[in-house]
Amino acid sequence: MKLYIKYDGIMACRVILQEQLEKHEVKYQLLDLGEIEIDEEITEERFAEVQESLNRYGIFILNNQKSQLIQRIKDAIVEMVYERDKLPSTTISHYLSEKLNFSYGYIANIFSEYTFTSIENFIIIQKIERAKKLIVEEELTLTEISYKLNYSSVAHLSSQFKKVTGLTPSMFKRIIDKRRLLVNQVD
Amino acid sequence: MITHKDPIHILLADDDEDDRNFFSEALAELRMTNKVTLFKDGKELMDYLERPDIRMPHILFLDLNMPGKTGFDCLREIRTNPRFKELSIAIYSTSSAEKDIEETFVGGANIYIKKPNDFSKLKKVIKDVVNINWQFHSSGLNKETFFFSI
Amino acid sequence: MKFLRLYKNDQVFKIALGIAIIVIGYIASVFYSKMQKLDDSVELIATSNQTQLELEKLLSIISNYETYLRSYIITKDEAYLKNRFLDRGEIERNFSRLNKLTAHNPIMVRDIDSLKVMFDTRFAIFRETLTVARIKNADKQALNDLLLKGTYLTNKMREHVYRTINDEAKKLKVLNESHQFELKDSMISAFLLVILSLLILLLSFNRMNSDINELQKANDELKFLNHSFNNAEKVANFGHWKLNLKTNTYIFSDNFYRLLGVEPQSFEATPENVSKFMHSEDFDYAMKVHLESLQTLEPTSVMIRYTLPNGDLKYINSVGSFMQNSKGEQVKVGVHYDLTEQYKKNIELEDNNRELQAINEELESFNNIVSHDLQEPLRKIQMFISRLEEKEGSVLSEQGKDYFAKIRAAANRMQSLMIDLVNYTRTIKGGRTFVKTNLNSLLEQILHELALNIEDKNAQVTVGNLPTIKAIPFQIEQLFINLITNSLKYSKEDVQPKIKIAAQKITETEIVHGKEMTEKRHHKIIVSDNGIGFRQEYADKIFVLFQRLETDSKYSGTGLGLAICKKIVENHNGCIAVKSKPGKGSEFSIYFPKNN
Repeated sequence: MKLYIKYDGIMACRVILQEQLEKHEVKYQLLDLGEIEIDEEITEERFAEVQESLNRYGIFILNNQKSQLIQRIKDAIVEMVYERDKLPSTTISHYLSEKLNFSYGYIANIFSEYTFTSIENFIIIQKIERAKKLIVEEELTLTEISYKLNYSSVAHLSSQFKKVTGLTPSMFKRIIDKRRLLVNQVD
Repeated sequence: MITHKDPIHILLADDDEDDRNFFSEALAELRMTNKVTLFKDGKELMDYLERPDIRMPHILFLDLNMPGKTGFDCLREIRTNPRFKELSIAIYSTSSAEKDIEETFVGGANIYIKKPNDFSKLKKVIKDVVNINWQFHSSGLNKETFFFSI
Repeated sequence: MKFLRLYKNDQVFKIALGIAIIVIGYIASVFYSKMQKLDDSVELIATSNQTQLELEKLLSIISNYETYLRSYIITKDEAYLKNRFLDRGEIERNFSRLNKLTAHNPIMVRDIDSLKVMFDTRFAIFRETLTVARIKNADKQALNDLLLKGTYLTNKMREHVYRTINDEAKKLKVLNESHQFELKDSMISAFLLVILSLLILLLSFNRMNSDINELQKANDELKFLNHSFNNAEKVANFGHWKLNLKTNTYIFSDNFYRLLGVEPQSFEATPENVSKFMHSEDFDYAMKVHLESLQTLEPTSVMIRYTLPNGDLKYINSVGSFMQNSKGEQVKVGVHYDLTEQYKKNIELEDNNRELQAINEELESFNNIVSHDLQEPLRKIQMFISRLEEKEGSVLSEQGKDYFAKIRAAANRMQSLMIDLVNYTRTIKGGRTFVKTNLNSLLEQILHELALNIEDKNAQVTVGNLPTIKAIPFQIEQLFINLITNSLKYSKEDVQPKIKIAAQKITETEIVHGKEMTEKRHHKIIVSDNGIGFRQEYADKIFVLFQRLETDSKYSGTGLGLAICKKIVENHNGCIAVKSKPGKGSEFSIYFPKNN
């Protein structure tokens, strides 16, 4: 029997994080996205154990402040693109500086220095990623997707889609469908 | 976690000597910290990959038109092997036919590159690919939908 | 005209004939009775005349006697008395004759009887007179008395006779009159009879004549039809056959035999004889079907292979159906027609198709060669040139750099040409299937495809309501991509390119390349832009392969794009034309046939 899964990675990660911390009996408090407050003193050994078990799930503990900030920026952007039903009406810069409590200039600089891409680019990539996800889920039309992701028109979405991926949304869909078919056949 | 500072291990499989030379020259000029391994046919490539002692490379640039084991054969072999599921495959081909592009993506490739006819374009392409790959890995992008055509 | 119709009508004619016969019969019988009457009256007249004669004779005999007597009295010569007995005998005969003649008439009988009495009395007086006269010295007075008596009686007899004769004469007159009338009457009847008979004879003859003529005409026509049919059979190369189910006999037409390559009627018409020409399996099947049909009376159609005496193989289709002949017997009538030509043509068609397919495949492989194998070395050339320019550029002279630039340009041009050539061969490939294509969704796809180019040029593309046509989708896609790309390419530098694609109603019949385009039979779609345009006199030239107008290198092109468009439109039985003005832009009109 074939099942199609839609998953919320962020939620899954959060659950795993909590489970793992509990397994290692670490007292913690979940703060903002990507932030945990450890309530107790923890030995380096135990810390390494926790790190290792988390690493297996692709969850990494950042030990660099700057990396932490980068991560926070990314997380904020991801949240903005994915978790909201519709992207905020305020400008990105405004939103980010509000959320992270730094000036946008500083945020942008740090980001491009460490990731070698601009925030705008990153946002576009994330939006296209979400568009891909929505296309794969097959629940919304292209028009609805473009609206959800705050594009002025379907043409705008497809144009950016093509720019980023090199493929039109329809080609993309075709490939996904064919891949699914192949997987079915193999089984 | 992969940072951009980590050396990137790149593989290229192409039967054409000139193309291999262009590639390594371009990489050298890009000055990315990288390690590059060149193969002149599919068999050499698969033999290398199947060695148990190697560290998993990051990106494989794969020419389609190779004698003996073609690019497609390699693609199929690699993608059916769970050991290589982290390996990003960039198909490197002369054709720009939609049909071919689709076929490679359906076959599991992540990136499709039409071989450029200009050296600076080649450098840009390689840079973009490495970038995208790094973005993909560092931002937890969905592997199932990870394909780009350049 | 009504009369003519009545005349022609058989029923009426028969009734008329019946009436005519009755009338003639009636008149004939009337005539017959009249003739009979005539006969009677003639007889009566004759009788009457005869009676009169006899009576006269009688009187004359009395006169004779008186003469004899007188003469004797005067001369006393016995010689005058000698004939008196003869006359007596004569009188007897007379009276018997008279009796016979008047037997039918009672009045006459009475008269004759009274006359006989008178005669007898007279003769008594005669005898007495004679006796007295014979005495030598006869008493003159007694003699005178007797003579007087005798004369008196004679006169009396004469009176009587004349009276009788008069009566008879009167009777005769009346009889004569009626006789005359009867005669006239009969003549008229006879005349009428003749005329009527003649009339009927004429009409009958006329009618018979025209009937015979018609029959003759029909017969001639039938002969002619038969003849033409036989000819038609020959010309159309078919033969026919007939089977009478009752008598189980077959008839084959002359051409039936000719189809089998033999002389007409050269063998007896039986299925066995025909089977000698057929392929055995075909015969078995055909007979089975045929015999079945004799039960079900359903029409049949079978294809049979025949081998002619000269060795030729023929494919003959035999079609038969049932009907009733003029006698009401069930008959199966069939036609044999020669399908060998069509069959051969079919085989030829299939061969041609296969050849075409082979050619197509070769074309495809040619395509592949061009798109891969030729492009490879070209790419290398371009790569090495760019490498050289980069690495050794500083060492090169201005001239050298220029040369390299030219080499690069030439190589690039070659590449575009190859790509376009591959596209062109794709469009001339035959055997593509037509499907219902929604042009609006197709254009949506195209705009996605060209999104980058459109954005690059900041162009505005509007698409109106387009029809759905039966087309080869990828070719139509290529068509519009080429046109839109062209419009983008040849746009004015400082003006926002505006491209419009819309359906247009053909209000008046337009003539495009000699063909009529009408609203009824064609779709018209226009692709217009506000680009640099060109001179209208080149309107046809731009569709020609490899023809370019703009020599300015700013506008790159291979000269294939519009030729491809034209080929695609032609593949769809349509037309393409363009209107343009330098500096104003161009408007391409594409016509697709409506229908299918």
